[in-house]
Amino acid sequence: MATITPDIALAADPATAKQPTTKRDYPGALVVVEGIDGSGKSTQLYLLKRWLEIGGYRIHFTEWNSSPLVKSATRRGKQRRLLTATTFSLLHAADFADRCERQIMPLLHGGYLVLADRYIYTAFARDGARGCSPHWLRNLYSFAPTPDITFYFRAPLDVAVNRIVAGRPKLKYYEAGMDLGISLDRSESFRIFQERILNNYDQMVETDHFVLMDGTVRVNKLQKLMRQIVSEKIALQQFAPKKK
Amino acid sequence: MTRSSNKTHIRVPQNGHPAKKRRAPVAAEIPSRFYGTPLPGVRPEELSGTLVVIEGTDGSGRSTQISLLTEWLESQGFAVQTMGLRRSYLVGEDIDALLAENAVTRMTLALMYSTDFFDQLERRILPALRSGLIVLADRYIFTLIARAAVRGIGRDYLHGIYETALRPDLTFWLNVRPEIAFDREFKKSQTISYWESGRDMSLSNDLFQSFIRYQSMIKREFEYLSKRHGFLELDGESSVSAVNRELRKRIASHLGIRSTQYRPSHALSHLWR
Repeated sequence: MATITPDIALAADPATAKQPTTKRDYPGALVVVEGIDGSGKSTQLYLLKRWLEIGGYRIHFTEWNSSPLVKSATRRGKQRRLLTATTFSLLHAADFADRCERQIMPLLHGGYLVLADRYIYTAFARDGARGCSPHWLRNLYSFAPTPDITFYFRAPLDVAVNRIVAGRPKLKYYEAGMDLGISLDRSESFRIFQERILNNYDQMVETDHFVLMDGTVRVNKLQKLMRQIVSEKIALQQFAPKKK
Repeated sequence: MTRSSNKTHIRVPQNGHPAKKRRAPVAAEIPSRFYGTPLPGVRPEELSGTLVVIEGTDGSGRSTQISLLTEWLESQGFAVQTMGLRRSYLVGEDIDALLAENAVTRMTLALMYSTDFFDQLERRILPALRSGLIVLADRYIFTLIARAAVRGIGRDYLHGIYETALRPDLTFWLNVRPEIAFDREFKKSQTISYWESGRDMSLSNDLFQSFIRYQSMIKREFEYLSKRHGFLELDGESSVSAVNRELRKRIASHLGIRSTQYRPSHALSHLWR
């Protein structure tokens, strides 16, 4: 694809362009899990959440695409297949912004440990696979706080795809990336779409400091490792129940 | 109507694109239809239509002018498509509901508006432009940028979101003083809207003061945007017929229409003053 030099009229003014901030001005912490469907990330985050809940820590769990705000629009768009790469991406960004401004940010300022099942990297990987420019996506989500830990669960494509296909009678249109017109066969389309997403994730491992987790390792063993990493990287005592 | 016969770059000086650019080969001119990277899947060379944007606050006479221009263009044999805020099938009604609740935060609202904008652009406006229609936009990205910017969202961030948008062929700004806009709006609806007076920003408990302060902030953003994007500024306080004459003159020159004579039909004569 030919690259087009951005016009100065709309390009960011280098003098005023903000550098991405990694400085945290809140007492809370943010732990996120990322990975393609079937990589085991949700199971692992659930177990981490249970461990922290049972210990009485101040935590909040949030997941991608869960707010009622854009539900009707998403449903409308998906039912009638009206979503383009851009509107699909913007709708999810609006949904994320709502969660970010009304849950994640206030909780981080209030000193909570926030656990997120998928975060902005899902948009970078998935919407990038749909054809949105990486530069445009990075800007779109630049308001999001940077996670303290990003666990990237990686399973070989075949393993992940088989886990999903086996558990689901029929793949949904957008889920299978049918809007991309890669293949008329849903399973085939899903596989190619997931492969593209996987490649996009792989490219972020270094730039975004992902903690790589092998999704083929036994569940309890992987969870032990996850808990160990969280304990090392986050001062958990600050989220511990307050003694009276 | 083809683009090569247009005189786009004579009358619309745009940053980074001096007037002599029109003599450059067509291939070099294609990127100028978008601000940055074009939307995924769009081939700029297919877009043979013309995009005319009319910006201005509520009470500046935008909608009146668009009704009159539509009639004039149709009488000249041009097919017209219109767009405006909150008119998308995808999220138009959702935004109405959010606004009614007053519970939405600024970033979410800004992104819902951008979804609304791109849904209209991709599914209605680009197809219209591919078919060679004239699109009259009742507000465009500039209002969306100005509204979000006065609420503290970074200008560069906003410009980044809209860099995949189509650059208008002509952008008119109907400039009116906030006091005049207030009078016109109040006369029309006997009240002033919550959002048009920026009441979410806690500027003043007095509705009039709040409206004036908010509209002054928006106006300052527009002055900045006008320089940056080469708006054609018109005095929105002039009579409807005078503003319309100026609009027709500019559009006619752009499209190569010889006659700018126009009298509204009986159906629209009530707008003429």
